[in-house]
Amino acid sequence: MSALLVRGLGKTYADGTEALRGVDVHVGEGEIVAILGGSGCGKTTLLRLIAGLDEASAGTIAVTGENTVISAVFQEPRLLPWLTAEANVAFGGRRLGAAQRQDRTQSLLRRIGLAGYGKRWPRELSGGQQQRVAIARALIGHPGVLLLDEPFSALDGFTRASLHDLLLDLWRELQPTVLMVTHDIEEAVVLADRIVVMRPHPGRVQETLRVGLPRPRDRLAPEFDLVKRTALRAVNRSLAPPPEPHRTGPGVSPWL
Amino acid sequence: MRRGAWLGLLIPLVLAVAWELAVRHGLASGRLMPPPSRLAQTARALSRSGELQMHVLATTQRVCVGFAIGAAAGTVLAMLNGASGLTLRLLDPSVQALRAIPSIAWVPLFILWLGIFETSKLALIALGVFFPVYLGLLTAIQSVDRKLIEVGRVFGLSRTEIALRVTWPAVMPAWIAALRTGLGLGFMFVVAAELMGASEGLGYLLLDGQQMGRADTILVAMIVFAVLGKTADSLLVVASRPVLRWQDTHRLRL
Repeated sequence: MSALLVRGLGKTYADGTEALRGVDVHVGEGEIVAILGGSGCGKTTLLRLIAGLDEASAGTIAVTGENTVISAVFQEPRLLPWLTAEANVAFGGRRLGAAQRQDRTQSLLRRIGLAGYGKRWPRELSGGQQQRVAIARALIGHPGVLLLDEPFSALDGFTRASLHDLLLDLWRELQPTVLMVTHDIEEAVVLADRIVVMRPHPGRVQETLRVGLPRPRDRLAPEFDLVKRTALRAVNRSLAPPPEPHRTGPGVSPWL
Repeated sequence: MRRGAWLGLLIPLVLAVAWELAVRHGLASGRLMPPPSRLAQTARALSRSGELQMHVLATTQRVCVGFAIGAAAGTVLAMLNGASGLTLRLLDPSVQALRAIPSIAWVPLFILWLGIFETSKLALIALGVFFPVYLGLLTAIQSVDRKLIEVGRVFGLSRTEIALRVTWPAVMPAWIAALRTGLGLGFMFVVAAELMGASEGLGYLLLDGQQMGRADTILVAMIVFAVLGKTADSLLVVASRPVLRWQDTHRLRL
């Protein structure tokens, strides 16, 4: 088990664009936290910094606990096209011994419903199947922290819902600490324990919401709707122009 | 065989038969453009005396050795410059400047430096092969999808591991395409080298045919060149097939 602690994180790019300013995020052991925000709020930048793909300009990122392995699922599957589905899954488990890697690959392929597809090339799989393989690749090494960068945004609604269930199943079993980025409010409410709403230009934390619904969550329940509305309001606040003393009436939400 | 593949043979066959008939019926002398039957005779005579085999062997050896040297050098230098920004800035401008010199222009210098025998010929062929291989591979390395490199980094691969497990497989198709281009140029430069002075090789046969006024010899040498070049290219394609199976367009035409 491990926790992720981000303190005062800032990122200014070489061209002077400030993408993040003073971001504090804490993800407890085995918790799922969703970062919610519109474009330009630096949520992808935040994830890239934590994944070690970019260097922060300020602040610290710490992974505490016995398992400090971080892995990630990107917005696109990013499978290596020259490896079969099973070799792609195994690619994530380089630190494992050969036998264990083989075992876990096969059992994960079964778990993601692609048992008979191990020998296929990525191009022979649908978008949803490719993203399942990417999830299996990220989990085979039993990471302490799993980062998800809008991993379902390119998929259709049905596929997305089934991948939400798959992700939650695997999360229950392996208990990674999950930080996910999304612009889909419903997705955040379905998956997360807490939702961190960010505001843009530069990206910083607007507020944090506790979802507090028992799992499995019923998307049709009134309480679900309530949380969704609360989140929507927070997002709207985050999109509002910087504090002005007199505001007249609610604007039209771009989220509707 | 693919359906309709024979269709491509129709026009050459019709032309060959028509020419054969034209010469037989006295419509043309066939002195400068001998008919197919004469070419077959010449080829048979040349191969019975063992002359043809000797020329083919000499040319093939030159292409093989020159290609191996040029391809290896181009590959190594492209890998080096693709991996390190320092050597890229240090070496690439010079390589590009040398590339601007038509390779044939090196001939006098090579002869002066290396003599008129094998070494200068091999140097010319290797030089011709080097540039397309270098340029093709370097361009491919520089344009590998950054997103795939990031996958390697997220999963904690070292630079070497990323080079071996991500970059190298990603550039494989472009490398093979560059090798094919290089091989084609290798054949071009072997002719140039052999025309410049050789006592054996298909290029010598071409020159011999010209000096003896034997158009049939020239044509036989040209046809053998076509067969050799096509065979070599096909071998390369077949050899590369297992590593390119993943590609959508792996059915490279033979």
